[in-house]
Amino acid sequence: MKVMRSLGALVLLTQLLAAHASDDPATGLADSAALRATVFGTPPEDVAPLPALVPLDEIDIALPWARPLPAVLWFDRRLRVWFSAQGKPAPLAIVISGTGSDGNTEKLSLLRAALYGAGYHVLTLPSPTNPGFIAAASSTGVAGDLMQDSRDLYAAAQQIVTHLPKKIRITEVDVLGYSLGGAHAAVLKSIDAVEQRLKIRRAVMINPPVSLFTSMQRLDELFALSIGTDEQGIDAFYRRLYARLANFYRLSDQVRIEDTNLLAAVAATLRTDTDFSAAIALTFRIALMNVFYTGDLYAGTGVVTDPRHPPRPGDPTAEVVQRLLSKPFSEYFDQVFAPYYLAHRSGATRASLVAESRLDIIGDALRTEPDYYAQTNADDLILDRTELDWLRTTLAGRIAVYDHGGHLGNLGERQQIADMLDMLAGRWAGAAR
Amino acid sequence: MRAGRGASLVSVVCVALLAGGCASRDFYIRSLPAETPAADNAADIQQRQAMLAEAAAGASATPQADIGPPLTPEEAPSRYTYDPWERMNRFTYRFNARFDEAVFLPVADKYRRLPSPVRTGIHNFFANLGEVVSVLNYTAQLRPAPGVRSLGRFVINSTLGIGGLLDVAAKMGLSQPHTGFSATLARWGMQPGPYFVMPLLGPSTLRGGFGFLADFGTDYAINLLDLYRGTAGWALTPLDAVDIRANTNFRYYSTGSPFEYDTVRFLYVRKTLIEDDALRMWHRSGNRHAQTPAGQ
Repeated sequence: MKVMRSLGALVLLTQLLAAHASDDPATGLADSAALRATVFGTPPEDVAPLPALVPLDEIDIALPWARPLPAVLWFDRRLRVWFSAQGKPAPLAIVISGTGSDGNTEKLSLLRAALYGAGYHVLTLPSPTNPGFIAAASSTGVAGDLMQDSRDLYAAAQQIVTHLPKKIRITEVDVLGYSLGGAHAAVLKSIDAVEQRLKIRRAVMINPPVSLFTSMQRLDELFALSIGTDEQGIDAFYRRLYARLANFYRLSDQVRIEDTNLLAAVAATLRTDTDFSAAIALTFRIALMNVFYTGDLYAGTGVVTDPRHPPRPGDPTAEVVQRLLSKPFSEYFDQVFAPYYLAHRSGATRASLVAESRLDIIGDALRTEPDYYAQTNADDLILDRTELDWLRTTLAGRIAVYDHGGHLGNLGERQQIADMLDMLAGRWAGAAR
Repeated sequence: MRAGRGASLVSVVCVALLAGGCASRDFYIRSLPAETPAADNAADIQQRQAMLAEAAAGASATPQADIGPPLTPEEAPSRYTYDPWERMNRFTYRFNARFDEAVFLPVADKYRRLPSPVRTGIHNFFANLGEVVSVLNYTAQLRPAPGVRSLGRFVINSTLGIGGLLDVAAKMGLSQPHTGFSATLARWGMQPGPYFVMPLLGPSTLRGGFGFLADFGTDYAINLLDLYRGTAGWALTPLDAVDIRANTNFRYYSTGSPFEYDTVRFLYVRKTLIEDDALRMWHRSGNRHAQTPAGQ
């Protein structure tokens, strides 16, 4: 029984890793404050007022267009999403998770609480780059194409909304997302503008990337700078953190590692900017490993899995994990993503694939439609100066740029939440503040 | 009585499978306990303040005497885990995930609907029973101070706490985590051994599995109030298990990752080794298992 208890601690640690994995950050040129904000998030003292109770349902849904399920992903047959219902007719907020993440991260929980408190039904969805989504809801199995992933997401959202119990009355639909999910949210609205199936009213992007690929390449750069490109670098980082954690517990008289102090202890082992950069880069790499593995499996590209002998659930994966750990995004693009899309999309070139994963694909809508909004930070790790300027120019008066917060480091903070709710309600006073 | 236990378990499983049967439909809603964001944030603030205060006080604290030189990165155990039974373990892990989905979780969901004081009472009751094994093992670990605290908790909660239903001791500021035979073995220098996924209970090591059996055997041998061998004995372990499940925020495959087994194994064994390291009586200079897979 004690085993189950200690599992709780483990899970928190895994969630901590997953939470950061979702943050797809970083340039390596970021300052210390931005790195710390990115790792630690909003201090609890600065969190916006939240409601006392938020009801929560977990919804599992099988989607008819999903591709045949590989044996090793047996647990991902149905898409899992989370829903909080108001007891009365209310607008629905659809919230999309960041890179690699499922639909119930801590960040989503924070947004859910704020939105529920403001009177919305809240539906939180995994990122199309989450392996659960790739297996259950992707029509390709190969994640990373902004438009295709958003189309799958749009279809999934429709199915879910259609199946909701009849007693749930939805007055309007708004969509928002953080990090990569922010880009998905905006593209979702642009798809809906044509198809009109959800009748999405407004979209808010929170710390979105401008170019998925350049953001990811910066993360690889950060990985190389803070950890290295070989096994030894990964090993050294692990040993450094392990020794610090072990010494922390030797000094404290607490011998059992409990849920609550484990989080603090892990965070306390990160000290230098290199540590913070490494933690951000590594947790992102873990998200990429899942995308790489599932993509390779579905596309049959044979990089780490053998298409003629598909892996079985009992097979050891340690070797695959080791190989994937040192594979950057560029290898995913070259060996899985590009081969798949060049074969399946007529007229596509490598350059067009890169171009199509930029927010420019909906640039006109962002420029001219009044219902797209964004929030970001001047020191967000995933944007360079040109990209931030592009967002500012494109969205004109519909973007709030805060001075500090790194990547998502101020999510849930009073001003961020207040502005977000104002934007969703169409009453945001603009960048005048 | 043995037959009774079997029959009741079978009926619990059947009811749960019926309840969990809905889970195979194409659209399935499961109500979770409501989230309490305001209270959670207040708790975070409190915890952060306490940590900051502790860090401030830490400078003046007296260092412990005999902890030896700090562990160096070179002495950290290998990233690889000793898992000679991997295929069997993966099979068990998968079985556990399915059992959890079909039986454990639906039952825990129903359990959570009981009034909160009832659940707290049940939780405290089992925690109090756990003090017996803790006192014995703290003694065997030659750690008198936590042993006395554990004994104090048991005496206070069994009497003032009405047979353990109320945790009066904690309200008096007397708290002490549980310990068991696996920790005692670690204290005296035994390695965790191979990674071992226990049926129904989840990740462990060979030593952890043995420790679990020993702790259960100890309770059974002492047979406090005839609870373990008496007529109600059959209900005890499942109720304890459901209580723990309902209080554990874990969901199998919640991230959807194909590498969950590897992640859980890595984290579980590192956590165990760090706990062992803090427990051990003597710290050798140089770590003999720095090169071999961790746990061996």
